[in-house]
Amino acid sequence: MKHLFSALIIKEFQLMIAGRFLLLFFVSLLLYSCYINFIYVRIDQDAYPVYLYDPEGRLTVHSSELLFLDQQEQLQEKLKDGYGIAIDASGEAVTFMLVSSGSGKTDSYRAAYAESLLAGTHDKQAIRIGAFTKESKSRREITCEFLFFELTAVGFLGIASLLFKEKKMGMFRLHSILPVRTVSIVLSKVFLFLVADLLFAVFFTLINLGFYDGLSVLPGLLLQVLILSLIMSLAGFCCALILSDFKQFSLFYLVLATFITTPVFLAGQTGLDWGFIQYHPMYHLFLALKGACFQTLSLSVFYFPVWICVIGILATLACRLLHREMTKGGTL
Amino acid sequence: MKGWYYQLKNSCHDKLCLLAFFLPILTGALISGLTEADFSSVQEISFYVVENMLPSDTIALLESYGNITVFPDISSMEQAVNNPSTQGIGILQKGDSIQTLLSGDELTLYSVVGDTLPSLLSAQDMQVSPLVTVLPSESSANTLLSLLNAIVIFTAMFMGCTFNAMSIIGEKEDGISLINEVLPMTKADYFLQKIMLGLAGGILSSLLTALVCFPVTSEKLLPLLLLILLSTLSASVIGLIIGTCCTGLMSAITSTKLVMILLLAPPIFFYLVIDQNHLLFKFSYLLPSSAAFYGLIGLFQGNTAGNGFYLFILTFHCLLLLILFVRLPRRK
Repeated sequence: MKHLFSALIIKEFQLMIAGRFLLLFFVSLLLYSCYINFIYVRIDQDAYPVYLYDPEGRLTVHSSELLFLDQQEQLQEKLKDGYGIAIDASGEAVTFMLVSSGSGKTDSYRAAYAESLLAGTHDKQAIRIGAFTKESKSRREITCEFLFFELTAVGFLGIASLLFKEKKMGMFRLHSILPVRTVSIVLSKVFLFLVADLLFAVFFTLINLGFYDGLSVLPGLLLQVLILSLIMSLAGFCCALILSDFKQFSLFYLVLATFITTPVFLAGQTGLDWGFIQYHPMYHLFLALKGACFQTLSLSVFYFPVWICVIGILATLACRLLHREMTKGGTL
Repeated sequence: MKGWYYQLKNSCHDKLCLLAFFLPILTGALISGLTEADFSSVQEISFYVVENMLPSDTIALLESYGNITVFPDISSMEQAVNNPSTQGIGILQKGDSIQTLLSGDELTLYSVVGDTLPSLLSAQDMQVSPLVTVLPSESSANTLLSLLNAIVIFTAMFMGCTFNAMSIIGEKEDGISLINEVLPMTKADYFLQKIMLGLAGGILSSLLTALVCFPVTSEKLLPLLLLILLSTLSASVIGLIIGTCCTGLMSAITSTKLVMILLLAPPIFFYLVIDQNHLLFKFSYLLPSSAAFYGLIGLFQGNTAGNGFYLFILTFHCLLLLILFVRLPRRK
C-alpha cells in the first residue's frame, strides 16, 4: 500500500513537471519578488510640498520645509500637479493657493499645514507605538497579498488541470481497475500541491521578508498556508469533477477571482468599511494569513474546528465525486 | 466576410471569450455603482480619538481636517493605530495641547501629519485665518474613483489579448485548428480574421466600459477612440502570439496571466510612484500598455497635451508586434 501511494505521488509529480508547474513556480517567485523589491517597497506618498514666493522678504520664515520660488509664474506651474500648496506674499495680503483635491476636509488641512509651516519648524512630535517601519510593513503586507492570490489560484487551477488531463488520457478508467483506493488518489494529488504551496510560501517569505524576519513569521504563516492550500486544492478537485471541461472550469475560476477573492482583498487591505464582508469565509482566512505575517494573530476558538470540518467535508465530497467518476469510467 | 462571421459565431459559443468581453463592462458598472463617499474615507486623513477625552473645540477642528473615529478606551485606539491596513493617527489630550500617536509604518505624508498636528492645532488657536484660494481641479471626480475607472477601461483595452489567446487555444483543444488546415483558407486569412475579431471585440468592450465609467465629451471622443484602437490592436496581436506559441490550455492561461500582469501592473505603479521626468519612467514606454494608460489618465484629467506622443508610441508598438508575429510562424 505504501509502495502504491509513493508510485501515485511519483506519477503526479511527473504530471506536474509535464504541465510546466515548476517553471510557473520559479517564474512567479522571480516576478513577484522583483516587483516587491524594486517597486512596491519604494511606494510612498510625500508630504504636501509648500512653495513660497516672497520677492521682498516680508515674511520671517523659520521652516526648512518651505520651497522658495523666484518668479510668480512658477507658482502656477507648481500647482499643476494638484498636490502642492503655493503661498504668494507679493501682494498686500499673503495668499494661499491650492488645487482642490476633491475633498473639502483635505483642502482645509493642506491650507492649515502650509500656514503652520510659515509659523515655524516642526519637530517629530508624535509617539511611535508600532513594531514595524514602513518598509517592513510594506514587505509583510505585499507578501501576504501575493501569497493569498497565488494560493487561491495555484492549487485550485493546478489540481483541476491535472484531473482534466487524466480524464482525457483515460486514467480514471485505468484507476478503476487498479487496486487503488479513491482516498489514495485524492491524498496523493492534494499532498503534492500542499507541498508545492508550502515550499512556495517558505521561499517567497524568506526572499521578501529577509532570513530572520521570515523565519520568525514562518511557523504561524505555514499553518494558515496549510489550511488555505488544502481548501483550495480540495475545492478545485471537486469543481474539476463536477464541471465538464477545463474551459468551463477556468471560467468559474475567473468569476471566483473577480467576485470572491478581490472584495476580500479590498476590504482587508484598504480598510474600506463593508459590513457584509464579515460573512465572507475567505475574509477570515485572509485576515488570519495577514495576522500571521504581522505576528498579531488572534483567532476565535471556532476558527480551527470550523476549517477542519470544512476540509473534512470537502475531502469526503472529493472522494465520492471521484468514485462516481470512476464508476462512469468503467468497471468499478 | 463569411470567414469573419464564422469566427464571430465560434467566439459567441465560447463562454471564456464572452466573459473576457463582458467582465470589464460589469466591473465598470459595479465601480460606478459605488458612491464617492465609499472612497472618500480612504483618501481623507483619519483621526482616532478616545470617548470624552478631547475638548469640543479640538474635535471640531479635527473634524474640519479629516474623519474622526471614536474609541471607548486607549488600548482599542492603539490597536486601531497599529492596524497595518489603515493610516489613522491617534489623538490624546496632553495638558492644554494634544499628543499624537503613530504606528511608525505610515506613508511619509501621514507621518508628517502626525508630527505636525499638535503645533498646527495650537497655531490655529492663535492666528486669524489666511486668505485661501482653492482652485477647482481639472478633473472634478474623486481621484481614487477616477483611477479605478481608468484601470477598468485600461484592462478592457487589453482584454483582446485574453480573448484571442483563449479563442485560438480553444480551437486547438477542440480540434477546429485541424479542420482549418483542410479548409480553403490561408493562414494569413485566418489570422487577419482573428485580429479583426479581437480588435472589434476589444474596441466594443472598451468603449462600452468607457461609457459606463466616465462621461465622454465630444473633444475627448476622438483621442479616446484612437487610444482604444491602437491598444486593442497591440493586445490582439499579443494574444495571437500567445495562442500560436502555447500548446495546452493550462500553459496558455499561465502565459496570459503573466503577460497581463506584465502589461497592466507596471504602468499603474510607474504612474503612481515615479516622477514623470525620471529616466525610469521613460523606460516604461517599452511596454505598449504604458502609453495607453498615461493617455487614458490624461483624458480623465482633461489633459490632452501628450496624446500625440502616446499615439505615436502605441503605433510603433503595434508595428513592432505585427512584425514579430509575422516572423513567428516562419521561424517555427
